[in-house]
Amino acid sequence: MELLGRQEVWNITYDHALGETASTFYTLIRDEAAIYGRRIAGSNKVMVPPRSFSDETLEPTGEWVKVGPGGRIEAFTMVYEAFKNLPPPPYAFGYVLLDGADTALGGFFKGIDLTDPEAAAAKLKIGTRVVATFAAERKGEMMDFWFELEG
Amino acid sequence: MGLRVQPGIIGCAIRPVIASRDRSLEEIIYETAQLALKDAGLTINDIDGIAVGSNDQFDGRSISVMMASGSVGGVDRDIMSTPSASEHAFILGALRVATGQFRTQLIVSWSPTEVSSMPEAQRLGTDPYFHRALPLDELSAHALQASALESVVPGARAAAQAVTAKNRAQGQAAYPAPPMTPDAGALRWPLTPSMTSAPVTGAVAMVLACPEFIAERGITNVAWLQGMGWATEAGFLGDRDLTTAPALDAAVKQAYAMAGITDPASAFGVVEITDASPYAELLAYEALGLCARDEWEARTTDGTFSVGGKLPINPSGGALTWNPVFCTGLIRIAEVAQQVRGKAGAHQVPHVTRGLAHAGSGFAMMYQAAVILGQEARA
Repeated sequence: MELLGRQEVWNITYDHALGETASTFYTLIRDEAAIYGRRIAGSNKVMVPPRSFSDETLEPTGEWVKVGPGGRIEAFTMVYEAFKNLPPPPYAFGYVLLDGADTALGGFFKGIDLTDPEAAAAKLKIGTRVVATFAAERKGEMMDFWFELEG
Repeated sequence: MGLRVQPGIIGCAIRPVIASRDRSLEEIIYETAQLALKDAGLTINDIDGIAVGSNDQFDGRSISVMMASGSVGGVDRDIMSTPSASEHAFILGALRVATGQFRTQLIVSWSPTEVSSMPEAQRLGTDPYFHRALPLDELSAHALQASALESVVPGARAAAQAVTAKNRAQGQAAYPAPPMTPDAGALRWPLTPSMTSAPVTGAVAMVLACPEFIAERGITNVAWLQGMGWATEAGFLGDRDLTTAPALDAAVKQAYAMAGITDPASAFGVVEITDASPYAELLAYEALGLCARDEWEARTTDGTFSVGGKLPINPSGGALTWNPVFCTGLIRIAEVAQQVRGKAGAHQVPHVTRGLAHAGSGFAMMYQAAVILGQEARA
């Protein structure tokens, strides 16, 4: 028999509140081209990206600490399929432990030819030094910065 | 720590791949629940409560238990839902039996592939502040973990390739009919397409009961819950050391203490591991106390963990063969239950008296659980 389907497309918009902490993080990226973390109260641990509390200890964070722009790659991957609301693929992204931070920040790696994944992977080896790089025109969002190989 | 009332698994239905579109999702869920009840020799009138695990984004229905209630017998009956993980539905159901307030529980989970893009549906699970602007889905998270592991464990890639070959071969033997080959996964370096399988539609259901009910009904083929533990990792991948599995360490410690397991490498006749990637299986070997990381390459290439080897791991073929993403964790538990009950079918391992299931899910195995099942009513 003929089996039918029913296709649906939903287009719902969410307006998420970022709160004071994430708002400050992105405002500083936009206005100062710098990345800041937050120190957990009673600890030397600096959380990047910043959050208003540690979900490990449930202690609040307070002091803003400038981190980076240098850091080391903690994990990476390369993606060859398109994702919505992102630039065209391929993408290289992963996590970088910025100098002065205790948790790693997710972001894109740019300036590397991803045509040959194995060759690109050699350049993105874990532990490789990278530097946070900022767009000339910044909007206060994730796409304002990315990581490039240091030097 | 033991449970006050020990639950036993008395019925299972495992459907790791449903290729036909001749049933709606509600009909698939209905059939799967009925199959588990039939395997237990019960009807829905014998069930005190229902726990289901489902994912709203995959189902395309918000609070998807609302539409599924009718399919599993939840109308005018107790029903609760765990959207965090399919294995959490099992834990919830087991704990409810253990309270002594419920004699029976029906556990059901499912994972359809009706959404246009599973990666986009999974990406909706990330926070909208720092991660939604990245191409981050579960496969990307598994790839990030793989890259981190490759950097600290020499031979990890060769071991991952051996795990892939083992599970695919065992999967073909476990589910030979109808003859189907899973589609390869996407390239997320260092995960090559051959290292994972594309998502498929699947479903699973189980029936739990208390010892009193089992005795009253004269049921003798039971997989008794001897131990279980569960724990959760941080939500942000950058907060974690992806080369370790502390949540699974905690879950295993809890489960082994409950079951009195002191030498896990020789304690089980079969093990099922949630192999969302071969690297996830390797990391579980270590956390489960089955194989240290410096022996991964040797043990994965000498047949130790293959069917016919010293400790068969994933005789079902695991998620590397059939990957119904959301319900793979509960399927691992059901597979071990059927092995203990001698009802695993083509991939039955001989003489299994006790088995171990690892159920993991989420971004780089954020949710971790270990479940020990055996033929003895008490460990």
